[in-house]
Parts: sequence; structure tokens; C-alpha cells
Amino acid sequence: MQREGSPFTGLSTVAFKEAADHMTGARMHLIMLLVLLTAIGSVYGAIDRIRDVVSEDAFLFLKLFTVAREPLPSFASFLGFLLPLVAIALGFDAINGEYNRRTMSRLLAQPIFRDAVLFGKFLGGLLVIGIALLTLWLLTTGLGIIFLGLPPSGGDIVRGLCWLVATLAYAGVWLALAIAFSTVIRSPATSALAALSVWLVFSMFWSMISPLVAGMVAPIDPLDPVTVLNQFEWQQAIARISPQTLYGEITGLLLDPSARSTGPLFGFQLQGAVIGAPLPTMQSLVLVWPQISGLIAATLFMFTTAYVVFQRQEVRA
Amino acid sequence: MKTVSSTICAALFAACFALVAPVAAQDSAQTTEPEGFWLTTSYPEFTIEPGEKETVSLTLRNANLPPQRASLEVIGVPEGWDWALKGGGNAVTAAIVPPDSTERVTLELTPPEDAAVGSEHNIEIQARIERQTLTLPLTLRLAASDEATAAGLTLEPELPALSGTARSTFSFKIKVTNEGEEDGVFNLAAEVPRGFRTRFKKGFGSEEITGVPIAAGATETVTMEVVPSPATQAGRYPIGFEVAGNGESGTTELSLDVTGEPEVRIVGPQERLSGNAVAGKTEEFLFTLVNTGSAPAADIELAATPPSGWSVEFEPENVTELAPNSTDEVSVRITPSENAIAGDYMVAIRATGEPVSENVQFRVTVSTSTWWGVVGLGVIAVAAIILVLAVMRYGRR
Repeated sequence: MQREGSPFTGLSTVAFKEAADHMTGARMHLIMLLVLLTAIGSVYGAIDRIRDVVSEDAFLFLKLFTVAREPLPSFASFLGFLLPLVAIALGFDAINGEYNRRTMSRLLAQPIFRDAVLFGKFLGGLLVIGIALLTLWLLTTGLGIIFLGLPPSGGDIVRGLCWLVATLAYAGVWLALAIAFSTVIRSPATSALAALSVWLVFSMFWSMISPLVAGMVAPIDPLDPVTVLNQFEWQQAIARISPQTLYGEITGLLLDPSARSTGPLFGFQLQGAVIGAPLPTMQSLVLVWPQISGLIAATLFMFTTAYVVFQRQEVRA
Repeated sequence: MKTVSSTICAALFAACFALVAPVAAQDSAQTTEPEGFWLTTSYPEFTIEPGEKETVSLTLRNANLPPQRASLEVIGVPEGWDWALKGGGNAVTAAIVPPDSTERVTLELTPPEDAAVGSEHNIEIQARIERQTLTLPLTLRLAASDEATAAGLTLEPELPALSGTARSTFSFKIKVTNEGEEDGVFNLAAEVPRGFRTRFKKGFGSEEITGVPIAAGATETVTMEVVPSPATQAGRYPIGFEVAGNGESGTTELSLDVTGEPEVRIVGPQERLSGNAVAGKTEEFLFTLVNTGSAPAADIELAATPPSGWSVEFEPENVTELAPNSTDEVSVRITPSENAIAGDYMVAIRATGEPVSENVQFRVTVSTSTWWGVVGLGVIAVAAIILVLAVMRYGRR
């Protein structure tokens, strides 16, 4: 059953049309307005705080993303919270919406393969998120330049861009998840609720679930200190199932050059270490590369699931 | 010019106290001073050397009298002698002394070279005022020059030879005694080898001085501090110390014994004290030992204080001798611990030996292995392959 031609014919057409639809849609406008307002609020708070507290820092612009002022969270932590929402909003009705509007058969009547539809929907969504992220980043950096009166250093820019790419991978996980739900579940409302509940579980409850599970898997023996470490490692391993945790670790290391490890540190490892000395950007990347590759692999895995399900579906409904 | 040392101090009073009646308005405090006019000198009998100019200081004193004009005359100067009466730098023959004040006039006497030694001469100085004549007889004796030179400066160093390193400050304490008859300010000078610096201080004072006032017959302690130039080679250096002033001078010879001192520096690779290493992998750094001192250093042992789990090896571990101004290369192999986290660590490297001890901090930037990066890439590759397989398997026409 060998097919003729590339499965990606018309991919770019679908992707750009999808992106254009998102860009002009009221749903995207609303959610981006929400993101924009929160982003400006948190960055403004961060600038205020930086001006009050920080006297001199080689990586001042990275602080823009990590410093928080009560009651607002920092830009990075709030992106980690809201970005899944954006991705879910873009993807929850990607496929079942087409069925509901009865446009799927019309779409597939075009001279394109089914593959191109799914790939295009995913890439279109990712493109929109990418544009939104880049705009947000430029906006905050611009605000920083205006209010701090300093240009960002080269290290700031490189680290910021790496972080942006990692953020995109993080959004990709949620987009792929939402598209997968929209393929599997026929009703858009149900798929949206399913995606949202996964998001809630991972962003709200996972931090409570992981110690619980770790405590069951590796109970602490008060006489054996190794079990404490053992449980901690279990807890960390379980927590890392959540993309939220992975993204948090990436943010922590990429935006804080002096951070040196994501895992537990022992005293003997710190003996003789120069605390607070910034790590080379490459080393920070090497440290969080497992997390980044985990996010990318999860995206690919989720998307493959959606793909397989979609390819096997009856489309002439 | 010598001041003569005959010590009879006779105050010659003028013959008459003309106006005896005390003035009523005068204070009782001043009544102790008698009224009148006097011509005096401190030393009316003295010795003098043939051919040497001798200065005799004469004092005209007017106590409670109206201004007095005194015509001065010198009588009895032997023939062939040069003499002059001087006041204010000029030759004078008369002086006016205001009430209650003193005028100084000097008599300069120069006996000829061939004047007979041992002979005595009487000279009389006359001062004529309104109605009276004051006379001041002087008796002078010609003496050979040897007899008269008991005066001078003696220098007595407390410790004439000091020893120390090229970096120490050497303090010589020297007692300077002015054996002359006049007080004076004496200049201090030192003769030192090139590059040495000297300072003078008085006694235990802290002010730096260039000269010291010493009263006649008194002794002052002068401290001379000598700072050798830091690059001074080991050896013995002579120091000359000279005090001069009032026509006198005295010198003394001192000596400095600079003992050599080795000074070993540890120079990092390319003169940097930082380097890169990978966790768990041995990295070799080429250090250089430099002896910038002035004596050889012997038996330098190299050691390090690395963070725990690290190993630091030296090749060679021991440098038997390092001559001044020579260098020696030491290769240092640093292996960070397997568990080292990425970032900067400090490794202390020491060189200890006879009699040096040098310590540097070497900053090692540890990078972790990229093994996990490869694993991550593998995970992504596997996911991508699954996707490709899915596309191939489920791709439809």
C-alpha cells in the first residue's frame, strides 16, 4: 500500500492558514490579552524590585524574568502556569472541531494527505505560540531597557533565547496533548475539559502527589540516612513526569547562571566550589539538556499518538 | 675661626655710676638692674693662633640712660696684626645705644703667621661717651694650633654592623657629641651604595630630619635608617655617616650585611591562575616556579589542597634546588572528582621548602560530561523514529 508523493505536500499551506485563523480568532485575542496583561504586570513589578534591591548584576535582564514582587508571580513562573492554557486553547478542538463544523471532508477533498492536516495544525499552533513568546520576550526586554536604562549583555540574550526555545518545547507538549485529546475525543468540550484537568493535575496537584507516591515506594527508615536520599530521588523522579517540573528546572538553571545543579547536592561536592560564580552558558545548557530533551520527546510521543489515532479514524462522518 | 676657651668671666663695670638717683616711676622689678653704661665681653682672656682670624664679641649695654653715643677705639694691637671693628657687617668706629638695650660689635683680630707663639699681648678697647671713657682690657696669648684644637665632633655608633635581608630596614643609632664651644645645627649625610635609601631621625622620634641641633658639649642620638633596594644581592655593604656643621665634621664607618633570601613564586599556565577540566578526567597544567629572590631555594616540595574526591599530582613532586632568577617547570595533573558539579572550584597549590612558602589559588572551571546530552539526543531520536515509522505505517493515500 505504497502511497505516491510526499505526505507533506500542502503542509505549509495548512500550517499558515491555521496560524492565520488563530491570529484572527477572538479566542486567541482574549487569551493573549490575559497573558499580555499579566506579563506586563509581573515585569513591571520585577523592574521595581530590581531597582530597589539589586545593585549590580552581570545578568540583570535575566532577573527581569525571575524576580517577583508580591502578589504577582515572576514572569517565568507565570509563563509556566499560563502557557499550557494558551496551548490547550489553541489545540483542544483542532480535529473534533473540524468534524463538528462538518468541514473535515471538505478539507480532505483538497489534494493533500491527511498527514498534512495534522502536521499543519500542530505546526500552525506552534508558530502562533512562538510568535507570541518572541513578542513577549521582546516586550519585556524593551521594558527593561526603558526602565533600567541598560542594554542587555550578550550572555543575557543568549540565555534568554535558549530559554525561549525551551519554553516553546514546553508549550509544544501541551499543544500535542490538546491535539491528541481532540483526536481521541469527539466532543470539543470534553476534550477541552480533559486537557484542562491534566493541566490542573500537573500544575497544581503533582507537587502533592509526588511526595506521597515516593513515600509509598521508598519509605524512610529513621536509622538509615540513605533512605532519606533514596526517597528524595524517587520524589524527584516522579515529579519530573510533570512537564511543569521539567520546565521549572530549565528556567532555574538557564535564567540563574549561578545555579549549578538540579538534583541534590552533597557537602563534599561543594567543598572548594566558588559559590555564586556564573556557569558558562554551554554548561547550563548541558545541565538542563536532559529536561529539554524530555520535553521534546514527550511532544513527539504525544503527537505520534494523535497521528496514529487520526490516521486510523473514519473521516467521512 | 676658633672660639677661645679661657673661662674667666669677668664683668667689667664702668668706672662710674654717674646718675645714682633712682627714678621714682620705675618698677620695683627693674630696680635690680643698675643704671649705667657698660662695655663688656664674655671672655676677656683667650688664646689665639697665628694666622687665624679670631672674632671677639663686644657688648655695649645701656641701662636706663638716655641714648648714648660711644666712640670706639682699639689701643695696643701689636704691629703687623690685622684688626677691624665691625658692627652690622661694616667697619665701625662709633655706636649709638638706645636706652635699655644692647649693641654688639665684633673685633676681628688676625695675628701674622710668624707671630711668636707663647707671647702675651694686652689690648685695650675704649668707648668714649659724653663725659667718661670706658676701657675694656683684653689679654690674649698666642698658642700653637694643636693646643687649641680640643674641639670637634665625635660620633659613636651603638651597633656599627647590622645584618638582615634585602627587605628589612636597618636602623643605626649614633651618638653625636658636640665637643666644640658653640651650639650649632649639624647636617647629616650618608654615603650608601646605589639604590639604597636612607632616612635620619632624632633619637626615637618619628620625624625625618636633615640636620640636628646640638648644644655645646651635649650629645644627641641620631637614628639612621637604611633601606636596601629589594634586588640587592647578598653581601657586605659599607655605609658612611657624616655629620658636618659649624666648621666641624665627623664621620663614621658602618656596615650592612645583607643576607640573601630566596623568594619563590608560582606562575600558572600562560601566567593565568585558572583552567578548565572535565569532571572525572585528568587535565594537565604546566606551572612554573620562579625564584625572584637573591639566594637559592632548596628542597621545594609541592602540595595541593584540592576539594574532596579530587586528585592532584605533581611531576616532579620535589624541586631540589632553584637558583636565583631561574625557573623550573612543574606539570600539575588535576583530576576533578566524578561527582564534581559544573562550575568553578578553587584548588590551593603550595610550594614549601628551605625557607620559602608560597601559596596560590588555582581556579578550575569544571564542565560535566556531555554523556547525558548524548542520551537526551538519543531519546529525541527514538521519539522521532517512532513518528517516522508511524507516518510510514499509517500514511494513507
